[in-house]
Parts: sequence; structure tokens; C-alpha cells
Amino acid sequence: MALAPRTIRLHGEGDDLVIEWVDGHRSAYSYQYLRDRCPCATCLDKEPEPPSEAGPLPMFGAGKLKPLKAEIVGRYALQIFWSDGHSAGIYTFDYLRDLCPCDDCEAAGENVM
Amino acid sequence: MGKRVSPQEVLEALRGVEDAAQRKDIVSLGYVKNVEVSSDHTVIVIELKTSGSPKANSQLAAAVRKAAEAIGAPKVEVEIATPSAAPPGSQSKLIPGVKATIAVASGKGGVGKSTVAANLAVALHRQGAKVGLMDTDVYGPSVPALMGGKQEPRIVEGKLEPPVEWGIKIISMGYFLPQDEAVIWRGPMLHKTVQQFLGDVNWGELDYLVMDLPPGTGDIQLSLSQTIPLTGAVIVSTPQDLALDVAWKAIAMFRKLNIPILGIVENMSYYVCPHCGVREDIFGHGGAKEAADRLEIPFLGEIPLDPKIRIQSDAGRPVALDLNSPLADAYLAVAKALAEQVSQAGEHVPQII
Repeated sequence: MALAPRTIRLHGEGDDLVIEWVDGHRSAYSYQYLRDRCPCATCLDKEPEPPSEAGPLPMFGAGKLKPLKAEIVGRYALQIFWSDGHSAGIYTFDYLRDLCPCDDCEAAGENVM
Repeated sequence: MGKRVSPQEVLEALRGVEDAAQRKDIVSLGYVKNVEVSSDHTVIVIELKTSGSPKANSQLAAAVRKAAEAIGAPKVEVEIATPSAAPPGSQSKLIPGVKATIAVASGKGGVGKSTVAANLAVALHRQGAKVGLMDTDVYGPSVPALMGGKQEPRIVEGKLEPPVEWGIKIISMGYFLPQDEAVIWRGPMLHKTVQQFLGDVNWGELDYLVMDLPPGTGDIQLSLSQTIPLTGAVIVSTPQDLALDVAWKAIAMFRKLNIPILGIVENMSYYVCPHCGVREDIFGHGGAKEAADRLEIPFLGEIPLDPKIRIQSDAGRPVALDLNSPLADAYLAVAKALAEQVSQAGEHVPQII
């Protein structure tokens, strides 16, 4: 059986989405990091956009990206409803674990490559 | 009046009673819930983890009574409580009253998946559980014919009231189509149908919802796996390599979707000639058991190839209903093994905070 989250906190400390896994590992993802890695077909297809330049007047900006809500898909994935209106991505637990940006996982990932 | 027997002494005596299926004593298994001894009365409450067959339960009760009486406990009464239920493995807002959801799947078509699903539902019901049967094979629904009956679903207070045949609540696309019409749909319609079969049907309180899947690894399988956290999947295969190779693909799909494999059933396992009694392994034999061992998946049992299964299926009376029938016994054994797997599969669903 693949690894599954125990809890998923949408608004963890410092605007991070925080997952506590059943094996005790803890992953903290920034919203933009996850949004940029949306696995849906549309996002995979399109060219990466340059980050929009933040103007001095915040009301003209797109607003701060955040998850409005999230749902568990079956028993294998997470669907995140982002504040920019996008929700097509189904983040499998395996994928989320692979994305874990913590130092240990990053180091482990580099060793594999 | 002799020395009064203490509850501890009774408990010690019960260590000599074994659960036949688990081959362990009932005290270590945690089945003994309560022992009360008064001057003229003893009450022992046994709580089983799975609902065993009535025969097995009465044998267990007799063994418990004997063990207690042997050390002089007065007027022993044994109560056996069976969970009407699997653990709260499936937690879905769509079907809040359903405790366990079991997908019956195969790689190839024609391995007898629907027949196995219908008979498993009947066998689980015979062992005391409340059971529903959902036919998700939208293109080729066969459950209404297998279960017989001429009832149709009715709308009651905005929900579909499923027909009940042989004590089992049933829903199938077959109820909504004239015999000579076909469903010619693309994926999104199938997805909607699966959601409606779950959310718009009045399933009520069920211990098991058995779902007959179409063959393969396509839209229906994915929709079902995404819409609810399935408790697990049962793989049906015939013994030959050709079928097993494709069954492997179904297993791979469920593993990818993080759905526990509850076990493999070998269907059309062997044929006993009704004239001479010689057993013929038409598709080979034991292939599914070997595959199960290799893949470390539980083997739930084998169902023989027998014309009686086909005849009764066509007549709408599943063989698992029969008394004193080796075929029904085969299904009851598979259902019992399945119930045990379900009771262990209770897995946790991640919490979103």
C-alpha cells in the first residue's frame, strides 16, 4: 500500500500547505510551489509563465494565491481548489510525497538521480 | 453448595477454546467481552470480529459452554454477538450508511464476474449482513437477470428506492432500459451514472455494498475509485494464464489508486462430470492461487464450473441460496474469507484541516 497522509492542513504555518504522513514524515509546501506543479493536462501542456511582476498597488495584482478548499479523491489523491479558479489538478499522494521540498527528501531525490 | 467459580477462572478455562478459522484461542483474540458469574448463573458474552456462519457460531457457543461447565460454572449462558458489520472503513458523504464498499473486478470479460458478485452478495447476506448490490456495468448489465424478480426502482422522496431481491438491495442500468436498447455513451455520462448510483439511491444502512464492475481498467473503474474511498477490491479470474495476465492489470490499477486488494477468487476452477464424477481441470487449476501467493494477495477460494450455476443464474436464483449444496458452500466460504479481509482492511482516510 502506498504511503498516505494522516492529516492535511491547508493553512499551516506561514502560508504553507502542511501534510503529516502516516509514517511520521512532515511536508510543508508553499502554495505557489504546488500551483506551479499542477499535474492536470492543461498545466502540463502550457509553457511556464514568467512570474507576474508585483506592482506597487496590490489591488491591481491577481491577489495572493491560496487554496480555497481541498477534497480527498477516492483514497489516493488530493484535489485543490485554488483562489485563481483552477481546480483540475489531481495530486496523487505519491506525487505529493515526491514533491516534498524538505532537505532530507531533496537530498534523497538527488542521490537517486 | 460448593466453591463459587470466579470470572477469572472461567476466562482461564476459555483459553482452551479455539477459533477454528484463526487457529488461536478466543481469549487472546479478544473475543470474550464479558464474563459474569452469580451463585446460580453464568453469562459469557463473545463478540466476534466477523459474522461467521450460523453453524460455526453455534459450534463455538457449544464449545464455550462446555469449557465453562467443565470447571463447574453454574447454568452457563453464552451470547454470541456478531458485528453486523465491517469496520468503518468507507467514509463517504454520498453513502453515509454504508460500512464497506467492495468492488468485484477482473481484467478480462467472461470470467463470471457478475455471477460471482451476485452470489457473494447472497452469501454475505446469508451470514447475517445487510447487503446491497450495485451493477456498474452500464453497457452490459446482467445483475437484474441473475437476481431475478420483476420489480423496478421507484422514486420515493426524491431518491431511487432500489428493488430488493433475495433480501438484497439492487441497482442496475438494466432496470432503466428496454431489453433491446443499448447504452452508447462516452465517459462523462458513465461518470454521472456512477455518481447517481451512489448518491441518488436510497441504500440506507448496509454492512456491505458489493459492486459489480465491467471488465477492464477504464472510465467506470476510475470514476468509482475517485468518487468514494472504496474499502477494497476482489479480483475474479479463471485459472488459465491468459486471464491471469490481464487480471494483473486490474490489480496494478487498484494499487495505483491506493485501494486494498481484498483477494482473488478463482472461478470455473474445475469441472466435475455429472455422469462419471471425474474431475476435469478445463482451464488448468490453481493458477489464481499461485498468482495470489506470488503477488502476496489473499486467496479467497475457488468456485467450480458447474452447469447448475448457469441454469440457476439464468433462472434468477443464485446458487448461493441453496441449502446443502457444495456450490453454495463454496460461495459461503469465499464470503467468510472476504468478511475477514474486510474487517482487517479498515483503513484511515486522511483528514483535511
